[in-house]
Amino acid sequence: MEVGTLFSNLALGLSVAITLQNLLWCLAGAVIGTAIGVLPGVGPVATMALLLPVTYLLPAEGALIMLAGIYYGAQYGGSTTAILVNLPGESSSVVTTLDGYQMARQGRAGPALAIAALGSFFAGCVATIAIAIAAPPLTRLAQQFTPPDYFSLMVLGLVFAIVMARGSVLKAFGMVFLGMLLGLAGTDVNTGNTRFTFGIGDLFDGIGFVPLAMGVFGIAEIIANLTNPERRDLVSAKVSGLLPTKDDLKRAIAPVLRGTFLGGLLGILPGGGAILASFSAYTIEKKLSRTPEKFGTGMIEGVAAPESANNAAAQTSFIPMLTLGIPSNAVMAMMIGGMMIHGIIPGPQVMEQRPGLFWGMIVSMWFGNLMLVVLNLPLIGIWVRLLLVPYRLLAIAILFFCCIGVYSLNNSANEVLIITVFGLVGYLFMKLDCEPAPLLLGFLLGPMMEVYMRRAMLLSRGDPWVFVQRPLSLTFLILAGLLLLFVIVPNVRRARETVFQEAN
Amino acid sequence: MRIRSQDFATGLLFLAVGVAALWIGADYPMGTPQRPGTGVLPRILAWCLIGTGLLLWLKAVVSDSPRLTSWAWRPAIMITLATVAFALLIDRLGLIATMTVSMTLVALGTAETRWREYVPFALIMIAVGVGLFIYGLGMPIPILPRDVLWK
Repeated sequence: MEVGTLFSNLALGLSVAITLQNLLWCLAGAVIGTAIGVLPGVGPVATMALLLPVTYLLPAEGALIMLAGIYYGAQYGGSTTAILVNLPGESSSVVTTLDGYQMARQGRAGPALAIAALGSFFAGCVATIAIAIAAPPLTRLAQQFTPPDYFSLMVLGLVFAIVMARGSVLKAFGMVFLGMLLGLAGTDVNTGNTRFTFGIGDLFDGIGFVPLAMGVFGIAEIIANLTNPERRDLVSAKVSGLLPTKDDLKRAIAPVLRGTFLGGLLGILPGGGAILASFSAYTIEKKLSRTPEKFGTGMIEGVAAPESANNAAAQTSFIPMLTLGIPSNAVMAMMIGGMMIHGIIPGPQVMEQRPGLFWGMIVSMWFGNLMLVVLNLPLIGIWVRLLLVPYRLLAIAILFFCCIGVYSLNNSANEVLIITVFGLVGYLFMKLDCEPAPLLLGFLLGPMMEVYMRRAMLLSRGDPWVFVQRPLSLTFLILAGLLLLFVIVPNVRRARETVFQEAN
Repeated sequence: MRIRSQDFATGLLFLAVGVAALWIGADYPMGTPQRPGTGVLPRILAWCLIGTGLLLWLKAVVSDSPRLTSWAWRPAIMITLATVAFALLIDRLGLIATMTVSMTLVALGTAETRWREYVPFALIMIAVGVGLFIYGLGMPIPILPRDVLWK
């Protein structure tokens, strides 16, 4: 793509993002994101689910800018808790605890926080540009997709979600199927028949995305978190000497660059996102280091790389969502939920029909990152104080906001009963060690896949081979198959070994 | 076979949902290949779930998986009651009474609750709730119980 178009696109985005209103929504997203990032046990998915009803009141641009801010803001906030309390505020900050907390114990919390924030800022800027460059060609490609291509692309997306899910592949498969089945409940738009409604009027429109997500992520997490008594060892409420030394900076530059690159790449993969990126970045730094044995004792590289990587990945994971309309992880599923509330159907047409929204959101990420550096470095003391709020009180606030948020969707108390049910279901999933993210993706993609399947079958006059006759569709299916083989084969081998051992 | 293993229990869940979906969806029309009906995808998914469930059972037989840990009954029951109470009371008793009941139920969900800390916190939450949602966002929820309001 020509550089000129890139600049005119970014200029358009700038004109949207820089309005006072949108800057304020961006700030709101960044502040909320940092807050929930700092608080352990409150994640971006649950928060975004909680705020979806509120975004209904905002213009579409403001709503999406704020929701996006919550996600990357949480990446900044998560590192603060990881470094100061040895607890990951977000799951993507798990590895930051290893060296970050050690640095804090040595009285170097300031430099650790500064490097984490500056590395994240750099990664965020690079990722913003990456989205701006990658989005138009991908969108053009997506515009040539026919219904079978879309169907197969969604199959590939779900397979990615299965492969990347932590834990058992079989369980992830089941969760996708379960999610798709839940997504089909309600009235079938093509035929007008109702499915799985049990004659309950509230289910004729299907199960709402917000109550489902809020139950499985919000309510279930409260139950799980109240079970485990918490221990927080705050190193010190006062952080002095924020500035990293010259030596710190010199050591951090290369890890930041590598982390940004790796995170940006892994973020694009469906099912990827921030968690995978931070783990991989830490592993690579350890492998490349001349002193790998020192990792875990307060190496600044072990903070710089994963923190840059998780922020880069958080942002590039917007690429498949924005260009193809396919959510690559649970957070992107929330973004799609936010778009649908405003009547925007995610997909390649968004960039053409709503260029202001599309580019405005991308440019707002840059502003958001700048705000986050300011919010996180000079104001660190405020966020630390937030950690003094015990979870037993947070739980009360979260539950209330969940209930009133769902109620406000349609002023319907029955929707609150739906989150009750899915809260218990979500807790059951936790007990069974089934990750809920694939379920959420299946829930969103299931009905979309049915629509594309029907269109494809209609166009092919009932010939199911159409899915392998179209070259793009075939490519996606082959990729999906290869990916599955890739994860299943070692499993098969291991299972067989176990059988053989028991036989002997 | 280990009944209390995670894999076995998950397999049971998937199987049960799959069989139930087949049962409920038995009369959903299948349509024609050119115009697939309401029943096609649910039936495919139900069989996929049954297959996944059976594979998990097989896995539970041939290899170990972690045992199910004990349930956290107290928070699970209290949180459930808190949401149900919210749903049942909000239209009848208004925001203040509903919040009081449902927040107290959450507080009863953990042994860590300190009542001296909870009471002022709950009062602040109620003030925030009424101020933000009723006066701020203008939600059509009564503040006090309907009867009190109209008498």
